[in-house]
Amino acid sequence: MGGRPIAITTFIAEPMAQRRAGLWTDAWRRLRRNRLALVAATYLLGLVGVAILAVFWTPYSTTHQGIVLPYQGPTPAHPLGGDSLGRDILSRLMEGAQISLLVGVGTQVVVLALGVPLGLLAGYFRSWLDAALSLLINIFYGVPDLLVALILIVLLGHSGLGQIIFAIAVTRWMDMARLVRGQAMSLREREFVEAARSCGSGTFKILFRHLLPNALGPIIVQATLGIPQAILFEAFLSFLGLGVQPPTPSWGSMAADGVQAIRISPHIVLAPTIALSVTLMAFNFVGDGLRDALDPRQRR
Amino acid sequence: MSPPLLEVRDLRIRFFTEDGEVRAVEGVSFDLQEGEILGIVGESGCGKSMTALSIMGLVPEPGRVTGGEIRFKGRDLLSMAPDEVRDIRGKDIAMIFQDPLSSLNPVLKTGFQVAEPMLAHQRADKRRALARAVELLRQVRVPAAEQRARDYPFQLSGGMRQRAMIAMGLANAPSMLIADEPTTALDVTVQAQILDLLRTLNRETRTAIVLITHNLAVVAGLCSRVIVMYAGQIVEEGSVFDLFERPQHPYTWLLLRSVPRLDRTRPERLRSIEGLPPDLIAPPPGCRFHPRCPFRIEPCFTEPPPLQEVGPGQRAACWVTMRRAHEEMGAATLLDVRPGAGSGVHGPIREPHRG
Repeated sequence: MGGRPIAITTFIAEPMAQRRAGLWTDAWRRLRRNRLALVAATYLLGLVGVAILAVFWTPYSTTHQGIVLPYQGPTPAHPLGGDSLGRDILSRLMEGAQISLLVGVGTQVVVLALGVPLGLLAGYFRSWLDAALSLLINIFYGVPDLLVALILIVLLGHSGLGQIIFAIAVTRWMDMARLVRGQAMSLREREFVEAARSCGSGTFKILFRHLLPNALGPIIVQATLGIPQAILFEAFLSFLGLGVQPPTPSWGSMAADGVQAIRISPHIVLAPTIALSVTLMAFNFVGDGLRDALDPRQRR
Repeated sequence: MSPPLLEVRDLRIRFFTEDGEVRAVEGVSFDLQEGEILGIVGESGCGKSMTALSIMGLVPEPGRVTGGEIRFKGRDLLSMAPDEVRDIRGKDIAMIFQDPLSSLNPVLKTGFQVAEPMLAHQRADKRRALARAVELLRQVRVPAAEQRARDYPFQLSGGMRQRAMIAMGLANAPSMLIADEPTTALDVTVQAQILDLLRTLNRETRTAIVLITHNLAVVAGLCSRVIVMYAGQIVEEGSVFDLFERPQHPYTWLLLRSVPRLDRTRPERLRSIEGLPPDLIAPPPGCRFHPRCPFRIEPCFTEPPPLQEVGPGQRAACWVTMRRAHEEMGAATLLDVRPGAGSGVHGPIREPHRG
């Protein structure tokens, strides 16, 4: 370059302190813009409301037979009709929502309780702990989940909600553990972890104060997307007669009840399966919405 | 003189990599007096940061301290149980890092992080620690400290973040603070403020500071004594004045000539140092600087030079030393000779590229 040097007059000021809202406020702002996720979340809130209502009140008894005629189609008094034993389907659907939500959320609570500490420990310490966890995860992935669940349910004896939740969680914890392990592995290299160590913080504190909050976004997404999987698995087990025991209604067993008569009374199958599908979709929409909202790369 | 606060003796750190053992630090010894500011200078990878981390017991995998002693207040940190070292970390010895943004946890509020060393050492309950954190932030001149304490790190400016880091370092009133490139990630104006803050803190609290930097200007402005490191070893040590006025090791001399100085009446050409730092898996025999040294003589190729007295309070590890280089080789004029002009000097000093 010839010519005379250009005087640099541009004053590079220290960037102003950014006034940005916190992580969660920010995420909420982005979530609010996602219509589909909002509609889905509203539906799920409604479903929770219905499930809670069903604890105290259902239009009819959920177990009394002969309230309507067996295979009765929808009528004004019984908007979803009656099942093969003449029970009110709407009432049973309401109680079934309770079961589904309990199983879905309960499973994820167990999955979190297993996967998060295991993943954190393995990802942070590496070494034999990590090798052992990875081996365990691969073994669990290798065995068909239905088989594991069946064996557990048989071993645990027939089957309260707790056993079903536990059995499903045992087949579902690996994704969470693997996710948290990966997060911990990348976070442990970050400088703030070194800084935390340099101020004398203990391992427990580093794991749960420093690593965990930074991994919370992906964990929440994973847990949200895990709920519909668990619900579906429970419905499947109940459809096979291995889930919640009759007469307690589960969407899966209700669908099973109508399969024989699907040509003459499709409403018996349709009611629980539509409820199931819509609920699964809603959870997935909310999960996707959360993923977008919590993804730091999408910060806008 | 009272016994030094920190004595490092023959420190050795190696990294056990797949390609071989990297001798990151080899035989480093120095003292730090109470209330002193000591600078450690050198290029990237010369072992200065590893020396600092070894004092904290935080040498990262696959590195390990393989020998030597680090005595803090008379106790050898290297032979202590991990719990005992953790007890000292953040309480008696604190460390601040180069990039304050990545050294602060992005999802925790600043005030909480400043309070963390106090909580980690059970010096105060949470409420009192948070109140003290605000006080500390005020002490390091963070404006509107109460509000800033409630902010997340990304909401603060770079300078404020580094102030928060310093506040965190000071939380337990340590007797020693290690600052690893504390100003490198900051604007020049902010750099000056941070250095000023460190100087004030040193004066007011008598906290000894080990300042690790590659920036000679930072050293000149802040330190009383300087150690120059090259390829894992100390090549020269002395007071700031002596080192800047009468550098005895060619590396120091070249380092000083590679930065512009405003206090020179006679204009000098800026020189970059020819070549690259050596591979520390197989360091060169003899003096580790000899492949890049313009003044090397016969013994430099085979015998590693010991660190020896070259003046009052000044030591250098060199067979030649600049005094001889000036007297016998005419060092200053030597370098103005064009490369390959038959000066008999190996590894000519290259002129900086001009765009």
